Amino acid sequence: MATKASASPSTYSPSTRRRKQERPNIKDPDWVRSDGRGFHQCRPAFLRTGAVNAAAGSAYAEFGNTKVIVSVFGPRESKKAMMYSDIGRLNCNISYTTFATSIRGQGSDHKEYSSMLHKALEGAIILESFPKTTVDVFALVLESGGSDLPVVISCASLALADAGIMMYDLVAAVSVSCLGTNLIIDPVLEEESYQDGSLMITFMPSRNEVTQMTITGEWSTQKIHEAMELCLDACSKLRTIMSSCLKEAAFASNE
Amino acid sequence: MGPSSSSADLSAEMEVDAFRRLFPLQFYERHLLESIRPDGRTHQQARDTTLALGAVASADGSALAKIGCTTMLAAIKMEVMTPTTDLPDEGNLTIEFHMPPICSPIVRPGKPADIAAVISKELSDTILSSGMINLKELSLVSGKTAWMAYLDIYCLDADGALFDAALLSAVAAFSHLQIPVVSVNDEGKVFIVSEEDKAGKPGNEPVNIDKRKLVLSNIPYSLTCLLHKNYILADPTAEEESIMETSLTVVLNSSRQLVSLYKPGGPVLAYTSALQDCVAMTMQRVKELQKILNEAISDMEVV
Repeated sequence: MATKASASPSTYSPSTRRRKQERPNIKDPDWVRSDGRGFHQCRPAFLRTGAVNAAAGSAYAEFGNTKVIVSVFGPRESKKAMMYSDIGRLNCNISYTTFATSIRGQGSDHKEYSSMLHKALEGAIILESFPKTTVDVFALVLESGGSDLPVVISCASLALADAGIMMYDLVAAVSVSCLGTNLIIDPVLEEESYQDGSLMITFMPSRNEVTQMTITGEWSTQKIHEAMELCLDACSKLRTIMSSCLKEAAFASNE
Repeated sequence: MGPSSSSADLSAEMEVDAFRRLFPLQFYERHLLESIRPDGRTHQQARDTTLALGAVASADGSALAKIGCTTMLAAIKMEVMTPTTDLPDEGNLTIEFHMPPICSPIVRPGKPADIAAVISKELSDTILSSGMINLKELSLVSGKTAWMAYLDIYCLDADGALFDAALLSAVAAFSHLQIPVVSVNDEGKVFIVSEEDKAGKPGNEPVNIDKRKLVLSNIPYSLTCLLHKNYILADPTAEEESIMETSLTVVLNSSRQLVSLYKPGGPVLAYTSALQDCVAMTMQRVKELQKILNEAISDMEVV
């Protein structure tokens, strides 16, 4: 049980005596999600811009237990080693706090997230508007409660807007888990641990364009269509929440 | 209107913001002459300070501290360790201070800021030497198992006086800490006793039911001041720290005893009188911080 990622390998976090929770019987018609949500119901989203004063733009997002902060710096000078570029560069990084996960220091497992964040945002940003320079997007996951990457992506696009970086549209991201014959939207950590497959879409609703889509696990074509519809619909709803957050912030600063 | 300096004539024609950027030192000195700082504070005044306990659900104890814009999130996770043979009755404490790239434009991913390592060490020294935590309280079974408390402090927004905010969040996280109830099985492995288990399965006797809170004695509180010429500025912002480089941090405990004092060089040499002034200002600040901490704790108990 010793945690290998922990700074000192001689310590371990105590667990409960019971075995790890078994996958619930999802065929059971009475099965409900651990937080009582409907299968097609997202967690309530809390969004705020201007979380970090030292950054050019920033946002805080809280979806249930998933809490993230994203700061945007720049446009600023590119690293010296970089070649000359007519268009701007985007640089993304996601890190986890050591206490983000139930076992200390496990959050650093997600090395691929930084490049996925980059790919999801790249298509939305008008890179021509800041030639020769770099915009840095840094995310910190304070608490990991499931669907971390989609929350970070939505939060990052809000932070970019707060920094005044030109974009074609806000990027909203939502994921869906496939559990047997059920599709559940915006899964929590526990649900992600026993999913059969997962699908994530990052979407620019007002242009009707998808910037990134990932599918993992076992899916039938029929299910993929169904899940995509679900995601796109949820993204559009999330976008309205995001834009009202920006409007509120703009309204407050005008007063 | 102002003192005569090379930039004085320019200042009449220039916008305030431009003057602030081009001649930061003159900009500040002119304010200081009038006994006020650009953000409206007096020299000795600290910024508004707030504390919220229990900000992180996945940790055993946590706190969010804000001094002005400087924001610190501290969280404690309890893990189990085998005590050393020299000190069989003591647990241990590991303190780490992190500056993730989100907190400041000067930090880049993969390149930790030098200042983070310095503050990490100072915090660790201050907390361990203050005697705030009795490591014997972290013992579970003498010589067999004990708690290792991992305290991680994340700077979410860096706007000066990082050490003060970090120490405050650390102290608050410890006062919020709830140690999980555990039992030890025959092989010496530690398990968390959940609510259902308490209903009385044999072999699950909790070993620490009455030791869930740590007794904090001699809590340390700190105040950082900037020294510039004859001025002493309490609780500097990042802008002030970048312009006037000599800082002095005084740490006093709740009985007003000196715990640590850091003056990491800098161009200004402090007179003993300046030192005494800083200590006196810290005394005042300790009272404020004690009040803020107690209010945060009682807010928590009401909820």
